[in-house]
Amino acid sequence: MKNWVILGGVLLLFVVLVKEWRRQRAPQVFTTTSGQVEMCLFCHQEKPEKVHAREVVGCSPCHLGDPLRTDKSLAHRGIVKNPGDLRVADRTCGNPACHPEIPSQVKKSLMATNRGIINTLRRYWGEIPDQPSVRLEDDVAYLLKHPELKSTALDYYRKLCGSCHLWFEKGKFPDFLKEKGGGCVACHLVPGPKEAKHPRLTRKIPTKNCVRCHNRSGRIGLTYQGLYEDEGYGTPYLDGDFGEEMLPDGRFVRPIPPDVHFKAGLVCVDCHLKEETMGEGKTYVHFEESVEITCVACHGGDGKTAKGRMVPGIKKEKGKLVFKDKEGRTHPLKAPDPIKCRHPVHRRLSCQACHAKRVPQCFGCHVRMDPRQRQTDKLTGKETRGAWEEFKSYQRLTTPTLGVKGKEIVILVPG
Amino acid sequence: MKSLVSPWVSWGLCASFLLAVVTGIIINYPYRAEIPLISTVGIEGTVPFGALFRYLHYYSGQLAFLLLIWHTTEALLGQSYRYRRPFFWTTLISTYPLTLLVLFTGYIIRGDETGLLAGRIAENLALKLPWVGELINRLLFAVMEEGAHRAYLAHVFLSWGLLVGLISWHFRLRRLELEDLSLWASVALLLALLFPPSLEFAPLATHAKGPWFFLGVQEALRYFSPYLAGLLFPTLPLLLLWLCKWWPRKAVLGLLLWHVIYLSFTIAGALR
Repeated sequence: MKNWVILGGVLLLFVVLVKEWRRQRAPQVFTTTSGQVEMCLFCHQEKPEKVHAREVVGCSPCHLGDPLRTDKSLAHRGIVKNPGDLRVADRTCGNPACHPEIPSQVKKSLMATNRGIINTLRRYWGEIPDQPSVRLEDDVAYLLKHPELKSTALDYYRKLCGSCHLWFEKGKFPDFLKEKGGGCVACHLVPGPKEAKHPRLTRKIPTKNCVRCHNRSGRIGLTYQGLYEDEGYGTPYLDGDFGEEMLPDGRFVRPIPPDVHFKAGLVCVDCHLKEETMGEGKTYVHFEESVEITCVACHGGDGKTAKGRMVPGIKKEKGKLVFKDKEGRTHPLKAPDPIKCRHPVHRRLSCQACHAKRVPQCFGCHVRMDPRQRQTDKLTGKETRGAWEEFKSYQRLTTPTLGVKGKEIVILVPG
Repeated sequence: MKSLVSPWVSWGLCASFLLAVVTGIIINYPYRAEIPLISTVGIEGTVPFGALFRYLHYYSGQLAFLLLIWHTTEALLGQSYRYRRPFFWTTLISTYPLTLLVLFTGYIIRGDETGLLAGRIAENLALKLPWVGELINRLLFAVMEEGAHRAYLAHVFLSWGLLVGLISWHFRLRRLELEDLSLWASVALLLALLFPPSLEFAPLATHAKGPWFFLGVQEALRYFSPYLAGLLFPTLPLLLLWLCKWWPRKAVLGLLLWHVIYLSFTIAGALR
């Protein structure tokens, strides 16, 4: 017995010694400039942008895992590929040393809750009273936790609209959906240089990132860039050639004159404030409650939004208000025409009533649900019974129809 | 006289403690108290066989403490206090808190989340002690002013003191069989192989847990004052252990009750 115990011990020691001998050892202990140990830097050579430089931030504050380990399997325990995912954002982007207040605000924003879409669908389809009101279940986060909550409107939302929200997991679905969602990175991520092997995070959100979602209904993202969603389906009717461009989701567009702001090089977030896009901690039911930028804020106004916030891009130079875009370019701000815009007969006209030369108008929208087929629920990722399909009678590009909203005359964009 | 304690456990305790001291000497060379976490990570990640010695040091220390609890329980059940004179009984009892202190300072000098936060709590509790608080803090902790330095010195000196004291008075090292040493080293090796101990890293967490044996105190501090939860509560079992010589039944009952309460606090703390 005695000898067996000793022999067993020696054998075990041999096994452990061999394992230790084969262990990959780092040449030094890696630390960030603040002295935090980051052994991830021993293996990982990726270089994010300057603000999140590897030498300053390291890897683990964003991607979690265990930065004190050199063994891959142990170091990668609890690691997250996308730190911007709202499921982990409180511990990553929103950790107390970085952007602690942001995740809770973003989770209340309309881009995360989709409350506007869900509430409107349910009201229009007669599932809830026809008065916009804050309802707990009109929230993607709630629907994610309660897949058992079912209704016709919610089924439609889950299958056709459920990919345009910030809770959508980036890379979970194939094709064009692969690029959508991802929480913070849905907007803030842009490709990095090839040699960096890491995408870059930016506050200069390119229009492309916004248009991944804002390309349906009013087609605002398309019209802004000078793209018109055509019915041509690629038919070579434009000057006898295939004059069409195709969007990533397979729809065809053709070029039209873009918005003047687009021509001036402005992107969506040059005008739209972070409080509008990322939320301000309040629960809004509808888009109009959240949007605060107005044309007048820059053109003829005092630089303040409808909620009294200063537009960040507006600066005073030589006694005049100018606009500095995210790239640092200065734009003069043209005041409204004193005769046309201030004329008493035009007092009820919104700016867009005259200045929006054309808007896409999609008439005769119909949806059909085939209960025999199956379709993917974009929130759960599972196929369920019932497949939705959308139809339109025709689409036209023309001067917009005007209508009255409250006391104001506005443009109407059917879509 | 028939032995009151099991030789298997007693020599296991001796072997584990010896192994902890020997591996401690080895990892002491690359360790630097002024950069505790960096040097501990360095021992694991850059020093050849460093991880093996650190893991062995960790598990043999834990085993020594657990076997000490077992050994003490056996000694109490066997009424060994009857055969000890008051001075020796008191001295023997004092090895219990000293071992705990060695284990505790071992956590502090890793310099990780668990260690440094536990060190700060211990420092604040020590400072609550009337008259001697400042002195005890200077001797053992002073984490906020000096980092892991004092705890490191306490860890080394107390380990040596305990080993030398116990060898010269409580057991004979030369009677330690190679079989016992091999068995308990294998247990520590196996644990190191299967469950490599981690350094806790959560610099921005709002809730940090101390070492497992400290969780009860940490949890009790949520409900009671530092005097009660941090000083009186952890001192009580030592007092009861000491009193076993004079009022064995009452003291053992008290010890049993204390352990039930402490275990409840520990479970509550672990589940947080």
